[in-house]
Formats: sequence, structure tokens, C-alpha cells
Amino acid sequence: MSAPGTDFREGYVEADGFRVRYMEAGQGAPLVHLHGAGGLRLTPAHDLLARRFRVVAFEMPGFGLSAENTKTRSMPELASTMARAAQALALDTFNLMGTSFGGKTALWLAAQAPERVSALILEAPAAIRPEGTEPPSGTPEEMARRLYAHPERQPALPAVDPAVRAKTQALVKRLRGPGRDADLEERLRALPTPTLVLFGTLDSVIPPSMGRIYKDLIPGCHLVFVYDAGHAIGAERPEAFVEVVGDFVERHEAFVISRAETVIHP
Amino acid sequence: MKVSFFETARYRAPQALPSEWPVPSGAYDPETGARAYRDMIARLEYVEELGFDWVSVSEHHYSPRILTPAPIVSASFIAAHLKKIKIALLGPIVPQSNPVRVAEEIAMLDTLAQGRLVVGLLRGTTNEYLTYDLNPAEARERTDEGMELILRAWAEPQPFGWQGRHFQYRQVSIWPRPLQQPHPPTYALGTSRESCEFAARNRLGCGVSYGSFESVGRATRYYREQCARYGWTPTPEQIVYRANMLLAETDDEAEAQFRQLPNQRPFTMRPGVTDALNKLDSRNVAGQARAPIVGGALPTTFVGGPDTVVEQVRRCRDEVGAGVLDLSLHPPGSSDLDPLMRALDLFGAKVLPRIRDV
Repeated sequence: MSAPGTDFREGYVEADGFRVRYMEAGQGAPLVHLHGAGGLRLTPAHDLLARRFRVVAFEMPGFGLSAENTKTRSMPELASTMARAAQALALDTFNLMGTSFGGKTALWLAAQAPERVSALILEAPAAIRPEGTEPPSGTPEEMARRLYAHPERQPALPAVDPAVRAKTQALVKRLRGPGRDADLEERLRALPTPTLVLFGTLDSVIPPSMGRIYKDLIPGCHLVFVYDAGHAIGAERPEAFVEVVGDFVERHEAFVISRAETVIHP
Repeated sequence: MKVSFFETARYRAPQALPSEWPVPSGAYDPETGARAYRDMIARLEYVEELGFDWVSVSEHHYSPRILTPAPIVSASFIAAHLKKIKIALLGPIVPQSNPVRVAEEIAMLDTLAQGRLVVGLLRGTTNEYLTYDLNPAEARERTDEGMELILRAWAEPQPFGWQGRHFQYRQVSIWPRPLQQPHPPTYALGTSRESCEFAARNRLGCGVSYGSFESVGRATRYYREQCARYGWTPTPEQIVYRANMLLAETDDEAEAQFRQLPNQRPFTMRPGVTDALNKLDSRNVAGQARAPIVGGALPTTFVGGPDTVVEQVRRCRDEVGAGVLDLSLHPPGSSDLDPLMRALDLFGAKVLPRIRDV
């Protein structure tokens, strides 16, 4: 098996004065992905999604290889930059997936431009957090223990350049906002977008019980637990993750109707 | 010490039965079955009167040895006929059940029984996997996942979907929820490392069965260590030990009866099946491998007259840490009810009152 993301090609697009890097693969309905606080890291889930959709995974300004971002002041601002980045790729409407920190960006984007987002997927979103929740940090091993339920089954995380870490942490701290964001939550009550929230049953970054708050707030929200996964669901249970995400993107709330075939012998 | 009566619904076959499992359905006599269930209720009314704390039922298939293939049905029927005693559902064999259905049925029964339900969830004994074509190699994983799903179905206030390895649901939102909140007292049944760890992680009780004090004591010790690792201490009542007891007026009489016990179960599988199953199944006591029990008779742990048995119960409390004894007072499968009733009388008069304070 090749490394995750081998089929993805790199591109750049201009938005709000930022040069935004993205990775793209696949054809079909567009699926835009916004990464977590650790930056863009392609997983086996991206590969599986790219078999069904045109996947565009952005690196948000200030993360990873991009220049330090001292300009963006708030999460709503970051969200509108990412909406413009999608526009620059001629994506008028698209499905939007946000992971952890990027889950909050995605929620803001959908709240600002609901007409552009066909369906919203939130992987272990960090928009609602208990007091004192901190994103994973430390050595790659320490990070892995926070991110994964079974770190021993995952490839080792790469060491992070201290300069990248410093600029990213400052940005995350500035943008992530409070654990309960009254302004955002008020908007969520009126969010018309079909929304799927996923939590791993063994998430040790954000308690999976936060999922029920999204379900409570967002009118068209579905909550799904992915058994035996930690915070990085797409890395740990890619098939289970992509099956339900793909089904939701294609069928929205009708995804509750099973299409599984149980005939054993015709 | 609390005491539970393990009820197996004694089927008294009017003629000799084939000795092979599965026992042909055609050998079943409907009238005899009806009488077994009538007698069961009469016996349990007496058990309740004697002061037993629980009556327990289990899930076993395709033979008259234990005539309760659908334990929820047995438990519901018993709950409807008895008034005070707790009903211990020990329990649905999780890997061959629909976990959401199990969660619903238990919640409903707990509510119907006004909160008198006790629940044990388990992987099940090896031969039971043949009942519904369950691959033994998948049983452990299906058990762990199914148990987690059952616990979540009881507790989660919002409709949720489940992307498992073996189970998948798009929406789960059970009604009713259990009367006992967040759920009835629940035990993970089994001596395995996996079962003890599951119980400790989820703050459940631990149920062990049939092994020697030394063997099941190793499992309960491991369970308590794991609970400490998760930052809590189980109560004595959170350890239940199911065992056979051979109680007679005197030690000599009990020993004599003990020597008469068959060393085989009444209904055994073909050797080719037994051998193949033994190879597929892996069992352990607190991480130490043990052979699956497939054909042999289950050991009888308590043997003696009342004084001796009381002393054995005391030792059991010390060595196993069990706060609940789930007892079979006569070998399951035996259709001779007189020795069972005599043992029950004797237990109620001369043992039960003396082990309360153990």
C-alpha cells in the first residue's frame, strides 16, 4: 500500500492576499476539507473519499508550509478566507468537511454562506469544548497518544519543525475562541445545512459527549459514533469513516435508509 | 453474602433422549415442557420465600439441559410471577445478539419489573456459537463492541449512529430507558483479561463461574487491580460467582453423592466438532490461557454438609472476594427434582441464615 495521498496533486490559489496551498484528487461532487490544529495531513480516508468525490484539502493560511499568518484575527475571518479560496477554484457550491479546529472554521463558513455548502461533515469538531481542553502537543509520540486510540497501529507522526509549531500554536490560540461560543451557537440554531457530526468512541482530545450538543443545536444534525477510534477518526477507521461520510454527502438525511444488501445466496 | 438461585427450568424427559448436541427437536415433548415451566414458577416462589436475593437465568440452546434459550423471555415471565426477588439476566450472549435490541429489551424489562433487574453480558460458551452460525474467531470482538453499544444506547440522550466493525446503525434512540439509572447493575461475565478490563473501564461488576477459588480468584484479583487503575473500587456485590453446590445432611452423604456425579455433560457434540471448536476458541483467566470447556461436566465447588459448606462460603469470600453467590444446587440437566428440593430446604434452613454475615 502506498503512503496516503500519493494520488493527490498540489496546487496554489490566491485568497485575501494569502497564497493558499491545497491538495486535490478525484472526480465528482466537490468535497472541501479543512484540517485540524496540527495542519494538513492526508490520511487513508482522503484516498478513499477521492474514489467517490473531487477532494480539495486546503492548507489554511499560517499552517504547515505557508508563511506565518499574523493577519487573520478571528475564526469567522478565517472562514471567509477559505470560502474565497474555494471560489478561486470555481467551487460555487461544495460539500464541506472540517476536522477538529477546522470543524469550527467549517461551521462558520456554513453559517456565513449557507447557500454554498450542500452538506457539512464535522470530524471530531472543536467548536464546543469543555473548559481547559487543549489541542495535542509535544513530541510526535505524545501527539500520537492524544490523537489515536491505538497509536501502535499508526505510522509514526513526523517531527514538527519548532518554527512551524510556534507560528501554528500562536495562530490556533488566537483563532479557536472560547469553548462555548455564544455567537456561533446562536447561528447554529438557524443553520439550514444538512450536518453530520462524527466522534470516535475513544476520543481523548474532545469528549465524544460533546456531539450531543451539536445535535441539540443544529436542526438538521446527525451524530455518529465511530467505534474504537480516537480523535483522528479518518486515520484510524478510514473505511468506517468514509462509508458514512460518503453516504451522507450523497443522500443527506436519507442516509438513514439502509442500502445494505443481506441476500446471501440469490 | 447475597445469594442467587440459578434457575434452569428442569425438563423431566418422559423417555431416554439422544445424547448428542444438538438434541433433535422432535424428541421434545410439549406437555413435559409446559410442566417444566409451571414447576419452575412454583419452585421460584419457594426460592423467594426462603429469602434468596436473586434468581438468575442464562442463555443456552438446542437441548433440554437448560431450557431457557431466550433469557429475556424467561426473565420477563419470572418477573411477572414473583414480587420481591431480583431477576438476574445472566445473560444475553452478546456476540450473537442485536445489541440495540438487547438494550431495548433490558430497559423495558427493568421498567416492567419496577427496577428489579440485574444484568450480565457475556461472550458465551463455545458450543453456543453453533446456534446462530457465529464464527468463533469473531466472538471476542463482537462481544466488546456489542457491550459498548448497549451501554451507549442506555445512556445517550440524543439519537446517534454507530459505525462499528461488526455492527452498524444510522439512528439509535431507545424508549423506554431503564428504570434504574443510568442502567441496571451490570456485570461483564467471564474470567478473561478482556472481560475484566472491559468491566473495570466501564465501572461494571465482574461475574466469574465454576472454576476453583484459586482460578476465579486470579480473575477477580485482576479485575480489582484494573478497577484501581481506572480510579475506583468495586463493592463486594460487584463480584458474582456462579458455582455448583452439592449440599447434604452430612459431609459423608455429600461426598457419596459427589462420587456419583457424571463426568460428562448430558449432551455432547461430535468429537470432530468439539476438536475443531477447541482449536478455534481461545480462553484465558486474567491473561493466562485455559482450555475451553466444551464437553466435560462443570466442576462442583461446594460439597458437604451445612457446616462444611458454610466454611467453604467463608473461604470463597476471602479468596474470590465475591459478594454474591449464584448457585446451582443440583447439576443442571438432571431431571430428578427430589434431591434439588431437599437441597433447597436444607440450604434455606441451615446455610442461608449463616452466610448472610459472611
